[in-house]
Amino acid sequence: MSRILLRDLVKTFGGLTAVAGVNLEVRDGEFVVFVGPSGCGKTTTLNMISGLETPTGGEVVIGDRVVNDVEPGERDLGMVFQDLALFPHMTVFENIAFGLRVKRVAADEIRRRVQEAAATMRIAPLLDKKPAQCSGGEAQRVALARTIVTKPSVFLMDEPLSSLDAKLRVEMRTELKRLHGTLRATFVYVTHDQAEAMTMADRIVVMDRGLVQQVGPPLTVYGDPANRFVAGFFGVPAMNFIDGALAVHGNTLRFDAAGGALDLGRREPAGAGAVTLGIRPEHVRLLPDGEGWPAAVSLIEPMGDETLVFLDYGGRTSIVAKVDAEDKVAVGDQRRFGFRPDKLVFFDAATGERVLR
Amino acid sequence: MTAGVSPMPPTVRTRGRRARWLFPGVRHAVLLAWSAFVLFPIFWMVSTSFKESWEWVAWPPHWLPWEPTLYSYRQIFTFSEMGRDLARGATDQVFAIWGAVADSLVVCAVSSLVSLLLGTFLAYSVSRFGVGGKNFRYAILTIRMVPPIVIAIPILIYYAIMIPHTTTLLFGARLTLIDTYLGLGLLYTATTLPFVIWMMLSFIDEVPYTLEHAARLMGAGRLTTIRRVVLPLVASGMVVTFLFIFILNWSEFLLALTLTHPKVTTLPVLLNKFQSAVEGRLYGPQAAIGTVITVPVVVLGILIQKHLVKGFSFGMIRK
Repeated sequence: MSRILLRDLVKTFGGLTAVAGVNLEVRDGEFVVFVGPSGCGKTTTLNMISGLETPTGGEVVIGDRVVNDVEPGERDLGMVFQDLALFPHMTVFENIAFGLRVKRVAADEIRRRVQEAAATMRIAPLLDKKPAQCSGGEAQRVALARTIVTKPSVFLMDEPLSSLDAKLRVEMRTELKRLHGTLRATFVYVTHDQAEAMTMADRIVVMDRGLVQQVGPPLTVYGDPANRFVAGFFGVPAMNFIDGALAVHGNTLRFDAAGGALDLGRREPAGAGAVTLGIRPEHVRLLPDGEGWPAAVSLIEPMGDETLVFLDYGGRTSIVAKVDAEDKVAVGDQRRFGFRPDKLVFFDAATGERVLR
Repeated sequence: MTAGVSPMPPTVRTRGRRARWLFPGVRHAVLLAWSAFVLFPIFWMVSTSFKESWEWVAWPPHWLPWEPTLYSYRQIFTFSEMGRDLARGATDQVFAIWGAVADSLVVCAVSSLVSLLLGTFLAYSVSRFGVGGKNFRYAILTIRMVPPIVIAIPILIYYAIMIPHTTTLLFGARLTLIDTYLGLGLLYTATTLPFVIWMMLSFIDEVPYTLEHAARLMGAGRLTTIRRVVLPLVASGMVVTFLFIFILNWSEFLLALTLTHPKVTTLPVLLNKFQSAVEGRLYGPQAAIGTVITVPVVVLGILIQKHLVKGFSFGMIRK
């Protein structure tokens, strides 16, 4: 059993609150990704799970025991660090064997298990080299091999791919997901890269300012964000935000903004007042004349398969629309645009929380 | 020992043909002159150690011995009943430095080693736990700003009177620190400790924390982590530091003069004794001993050259 339970976890450094009360359950065998901007408390939370930091308040439970006072080495964890932390003076073999040697495993058993781990990570030819002689990707595999060799039930990873170039990072992402499938262990992964979170996670934990903002499967977090922070954090290009107000007109609710109005066709008049409309670029469409809101095309960014069209509609910022590359759009065109009605999300203008779910 | 002149930066490029040979020429001339200036006393010492007694103060000076002889060396290396007794007005006496060589080796090696080990662990705690507070790493060096003579006399009083009496009173046994290996060794350990802490700090600071975190997560305790991860990474630094404090102790004169002799006599103290000979100064044996004192340090330096280069170019740990 290797579920992880965080109860009211708090960590302060002097007057600075890094983690401000985190409650979370990571299920056995789950791949959970903590994501958020730097300083959001994700790494501190991970370090409290690993035992490298002692919580100021709250509890960390691994399996069935509270591990607040358990040494890091006795928590049945494996960890991959941002800088990999390979021992530069040892060969790859000795690096992988280190954990077993510390646990006084017999020599032939060590040899067998190191070779097994090396085979899994496809680094068998590197065993006699020093870490400095390995390429970035190879060093990454060595760090992973060193972690899997002790067969921990929980894997912790602190931005392990951040030192790799873009292509290698994508490869290692796939590799990690494959590894998770093979090992069936619990993975807790920390990153500031939303693409890593989206592609690898079973569930994403979005953090900001020491608090969990939302927990959910990638597509839920992307499509059904809990607040404006989460909505803005995911997606490239970012979600469009339009400031406006909700008001009841006759029987229905209407959204009024600088560029136009939207009839929401809903009856409940709840939450009249200042709101921000959120809509993703792929859900903005160019419409024929006579429909939607008018706008001028101010910029075009062709991506190959799709084209990003920047629309000046009279609001504070442009609306970005992702349209088919075949669409003929030119800078200076006067076009009309609209939104997929089922994809509209509204946030309270003051608090940023979702309204009108 | 070598000149500390760094090569001139290549700023002169377009001054015509003359500049092309003039500046490297000047640079070499300056370096050569400086080297000659620095190395001359050593040359003179070695040369004198091979001279006959009449040549020591010959005028005009004999740069090289006219009739090279090993007489001075024979004098200092002979085993003799006289032990450490020194010349009293005769140039043909034997002096036997073996006792002093042994004393110097024992005191310097042991105290340097103890200081190195203690200092390394102290430096670790300063680096990792901030022991001693923020400014400790600089404050520790200021201890060395006190001239040794200032502490020599108080320590003499402690060693000669206070400590023997106190220990007799408290434990019924007299602890003799004056003129013993222990007394001098303790002091050598204490006086070199600030250097060890200061030097080792710069090495240990460069060992990334995450290496230790990784070791801890794999189940290694603090001591195992230090032994298997930290120490191997600062080994070069330890060698350099050891050499540095060994040389300090090896050439230390004032404390040894004050607190030891006749039972324990280190080489610098022995060397000094020749100055008070009644019948002129015994430059020959003195030069021979000087040469003998210098040789081990130079040999040691050559043997560990690899570490020296690595250690002195701080920032040795690449990922």
